[in-house]
Amino acid sequence: MALRLNLYHETIKTRALQRRDPLKISIYALSTIAACCATWYTIQLVRYHTYTDDYLQKKAQFDKVEPQGKAAKKKQDELTTKANQSVLMGKRIESRFYWAPMLSQLSQVVPREVQITRLGGEVTGENVRHCVLTIDGLAAGPDPRRVAEELRTAIAERLGPHYANVTSTFKSLEDGSETVLLDGRQMATAIFTINVQFHTAEPATPSPRKKK
Amino acid sequence: MKLGKEEIQKIVLGVLLFFGLIYSYFDLLLGPLSKRADITQRSAIGLVPQIQNSAAQVQKAKDMESDSANATLIMRQVEAMIPDGSPVAWFPTRMSEFFKKQGIDRVSTRMTGDVADKEIPRFRRIAWGVDLPKVDFATFGQAIAALENNEPLLDISALQIDASRDDVEAQHVFLTVNNLVKK
Repeated sequence: MALRLNLYHETIKTRALQRRDPLKISIYALSTIAACCATWYTIQLVRYHTYTDDYLQKKAQFDKVEPQGKAAKKKQDELTTKANQSVLMGKRIESRFYWAPMLSQLSQVVPREVQITRLGGEVTGENVRHCVLTIDGLAAGPDPRRVAEELRTAIAERLGPHYANVTSTFKSLEDGSETVLLDGRQMATAIFTINVQFHTAEPATPSPRKKK
Repeated sequence: MKLGKEEIQKIVLGVLLFFGLIYSYFDLLLGPLSKRADITQRSAIGLVPQIQNSAAQVQKAKDMESDSANATLIMRQVEAMIPDGSPVAWFPTRMSEFFKKQGIDRVSTRMTGDVADKEIPRFRRIAWGVDLPKVDFATFGQAIAALENNEPLLDISALQIDASRDDVEAQHVFLTVNNLVKK
């Protein structure tokens, strides 16, 4: 068997040692980890910048839209107020108490034996208008008290269909000291005060326009 | 391969340094960056509903503005009905002219009160006393009907009709009216 001498064994060993150098391997490993970390950090940084750009874009949009929104809200409030006021105004106009139809109805129930000497009326309330009428007058006839009573009931009957809760009561009814000449005859008189109360549940219809 | 004491010390120091670097990387670099990114993302997401809300407000206001012509028609008509200037200057004249047209010549109008309208702030209610010393009831009835039809801003709150002792055909009428005027 021939003797083989490896004269390079030291060199080979040194090379092998260099190849398996822990410091080198550690440096490689650490470099790999550092590269991974740097890559991940870069990815995160890009992500952050994307979010920042998106945020800045939205912020710019918001800064542009927000004053418009505030102005729109103000405008909206103004328009709502105006619309509500308009509705209220319409309602107020419609819910007015119309005296002309009431006077017309009242004049139709006054008989020729009665003279109204004073008529006072007052309307109160906003939506449901409460009306109080005070009618002073002089009734004449063989039985003037009956004439006055007929007027009182006639008023209630006439106004009843047009208004709500119509009440017609005598505030006073006294025999008159004077007599009046009616149909060529002297008639006894009675002085009365009728109190009429009612209210308008719904807006009363206006009287028709006078045709010219 | 046997490690010497000095080499072991180096390795331990290296490992410690490595963990220190890892900790610093996560705590000082990546952590704050991720945190800032999350905050920015959340802020951006949070702005979306606000932008949508503002845009919706603008759209709603535009829609309302286009519909406002109908909604505020009565108000515009009312404003157009009220003359400019002090009511004391035009209202008594207006009443005199109106009743004159209705055949009632003698009219005296006086202001009795002035109240701001709480529900409609741009308006105020003025109370007037309208005195008609001598009227015929039928003429007065027609005049009052025409007044109520022609003057929607006028509300008669009270009236008093007195029969005249001197003239059986004539009555003395006193009206208390409230008129709506601009502030």
